[in-house]
Amino acid sequence: MSAETFAPSFAVQWRRFLGKRLTLVAGAGILAFFVFLAVAAPLIAPYDAISQAADARLQAPSLLHPFGTDNFGRDILSRVIWGTRIDLQIAVIGVIFPFLIGTIAGTVAGFFGGIVDIVFMRLIDIILAFPFLVLMLSIIAILGPGLGSFYIAMALVGWVSYARLVRAQILVLKNSDYAVAAVSLGYSRTRIMFRHLLPNAVAGSLVFVMSDAVLVLLSGAAISYLGLGVQPPLAEWGIMVAEGQAFVTTAWWITLFPGLSIVVLAFGFSLLGDALGDLLGVHE
Amino acid sequence: MNAPMLSVRDLVVRAHLGDAARTLIDGVSLDLHKGEVLGLVGESGSGKSLLCRSMVGLLPSPSLAVESGSVLLEGRDLIGASEAEMLKVRGREIGMIFQNPTSHLDPVMRIGDQIAEGLRYHEGMNGREARAAATEILAQVGFPDPARQYDSYPHEFSGGMRQRAMIGAALSCNPKILIADEPTTALDVTIQAQILKLLMSLRESRGLSIILITHDLGIVAQTCDRIAVMRQGQLVEQGNKRAILSAPQHPYTKALIASHPSLPDHPGPAPGHAPATPAGTPLRPLLEIDDLYVRFAVGGGLFKAGAKTVSAVKGVSLRIMPGETVGIVGESGSGKSTLARAILGLTPLSSGHVTFDGADLAQNSRVALAKLRREAAMVFQDPLNALNPRLTVGQMLGEVLKVHGKDPASIPVRIGELLDLVGLEREFADRKPRSMSGGQCQRAGIARALAIDPRLVIADECVAALDVTIQAQIIDLFRELKEKMSLTLLFIAHDLAIVRNLCDRVVVMYRGEIVEEGLSTEVFANPKHPYTAALIGAIPDIDPDKPLLAVIPPGMSSAA
Repeated sequence: MSAETFAPSFAVQWRRFLGKRLTLVAGAGILAFFVFLAVAAPLIAPYDAISQAADARLQAPSLLHPFGTDNFGRDILSRVIWGTRIDLQIAVIGVIFPFLIGTIAGTVAGFFGGIVDIVFMRLIDIILAFPFLVLMLSIIAILGPGLGSFYIAMALVGWVSYARLVRAQILVLKNSDYAVAAVSLGYSRTRIMFRHLLPNAVAGSLVFVMSDAVLVLLSGAAISYLGLGVQPPLAEWGIMVAEGQAFVTTAWWITLFPGLSIVVLAFGFSLLGDALGDLLGVHE
Repeated sequence: MNAPMLSVRDLVVRAHLGDAARTLIDGVSLDLHKGEVLGLVGESGSGKSLLCRSMVGLLPSPSLAVESGSVLLEGRDLIGASEAEMLKVRGREIGMIFQNPTSHLDPVMRIGDQIAEGLRYHEGMNGREARAAATEILAQVGFPDPARQYDSYPHEFSGGMRQRAMIGAALSCNPKILIADEPTTALDVTIQAQILKLLMSLRESRGLSIILITHDLGIVAQTCDRIAVMRQGQLVEQGNKRAILSAPQHPYTKALIASHPSLPDHPGPAPGHAPATPAGTPLRPLLEIDDLYVRFAVGGGLFKAGAKTVSAVKGVSLRIMPGETVGIVGESGSGKSTLARAILGLTPLSSGHVTFDGADLAQNSRVALAKLRREAAMVFQDPLNALNPRLTVGQMLGEVLKVHGKDPASIPVRIGELLDLVGLEREFADRKPRSMSGGQCQRAGIARALAIDPRLVIADECVAALDVTIQAQIIDLFRELKEKMSLTLLFIAHDLAIVRNLCDRVVVMYRGEIVEEGLSTEVFANPKHPYTAALIGAIPDIDPDKPLLAVIPPGMSSAA
């Protein structure tokens, strides 16, 4: 038997290595691209995103309007670029608050256990008992439509997954020898929770942040689509899809390009989350 | 002698990680004859488990590959064999048992079915035949009530019984060769002695050839015919047991034999160190435990908490004088770790008193706890798990010093001193536990315990997870520290030989109670309690002529 049948060839190994890196590079690249669009929107958007032009309504993609125009004559490309600002903001803010609240709640519940844990867990059960969108819609309906209400609703509902993830980790880690050692050395509870347990428990939720960003982005778009999030005439991908719906058979480009943007950005987040999971050793 | 059953020739296994290739098994050749027991000795990472796995084509990772050499089983080369052929070899011709029976038994499958499965697959038996045969095997490996126990699940058995079940599963298809990978490392000494006896009797009755992988030369001395010593992937020495034990050639073998703690007639600690506690000395005990009970609630729910309790520690009384080194020995479940945690206030006391330097933990817990946190520290069993993986050794030590109110400017100097004290290079301050070996991690853990300048150090099984030569180093370190810093040391271990080497006084615990205590030399020379005698008798001695005693002390049954 020849030697090369035993070991994977160098080329195979190189490709394997590159494959892992590729996920990271591709995910980060997509995100960086959208961040660039958001930052440079005033410089690169060829037209204004809001002002209407009655003479250029419903034009198909052309050199003048690469993504076409909508029923108010607004350039779709410019609106997609300007929309990046709002959608990225939705994804980031919509994830950060649930992450922070959930992580802290999970740490406290897992560490103290007993009545604290019971209270948190029952609260989570109550929140999970309602369908996600129904709960979101009722909170936004009470607070009044708008992005601010969306963020508040997201923070109130979204933290539960983080809390559960972190709590489970803390429950395991608080019995580890280094946690016992920390107690025996007289460290304060706050120090043990946040310096010793939390950093070791948080890897899983960091990965979840990335896939959650996708969900938040989609629910942001859905809420805007239903008219409860971003208000027209602001450019946001979800609204653009909603607005294009009436014309989908005749002017498909109004719906397609913002829809594609959502898909690509979501894909970027997913790739990054996957790569992050590999890097932090969560999948093992 | 006739042709060997199994013959390994110039086996080379390499790992390809990234673009670097590392040789893990480096040209190993060995033979195994019919009915022979070959002891494969070496430290963790020496390649002994990998060698056996490559024999049966079960390399643990796809990046490992057999590069050259052959494994001949009765003349057939197993290296080139197809997966289908190997399926017939595994189980039917070569059986394997592993260190941790819990993780190698399917938790949701009945014990008997796990044995019957092999019979049905390999021998083509139908359900009823397989059940009868499996019941028979359970009886052979020492299950007292095989017909009933056939239907029990692994979690219903103790570790020793699970290991018996594993042996049963490995033997179900009548293999000619049994590879036993550290089969008793996770077990208590008395159970270990029983399992070793079982293996020997199976060898007699079935003419089985056994490869016994172990790090304990005592086990080898007691059971094997020949010894092969591995180090860093190479076979450094092999030959007849007596020849190697009495006249080792390779320096590594010599070191291994020298570091074996059960050296016959070891003098024990110098008698001058025995703490003289005659009446009249004004010395106050540093630690006084009086009729201590620790109970845990079992079962029960939200509304009937503590419906049932189990006492882990039952009425223990103990006095420890400053500067004393006391060993607590006992098997797993004897309550010694619970006792340690209770002393440090990590587990609530149910009743009784723990008084540390005059402060009563039960009556005045705040004062006593504050005192304990400042003046007592613990060293843990699993060195890797005892260190926060995200902190470097320097950060970890710095934190202890900061919390205990040391002057921030003096902290870097003190970290350096602590590292020196435990024999770690200063550059370890910037390393994280994952990039350190078990012994190095344990040294860092000891440094953390010493950082608070403790008066009392409790070491809970702190060498159980380490290799023998590393064990000897850590014990030496403790001995050195004890003299340098006038530490009071409470040393918990299941390994009596280590306790005998280190401790002035020994306390034997059994099922939550102290059954015997006294000076180490006296207790080991003439144990008074039958349980102590059984514990001592079960230590595999490195002298092959001192027989292994697998006595079950009265009132104790392992078949729980």
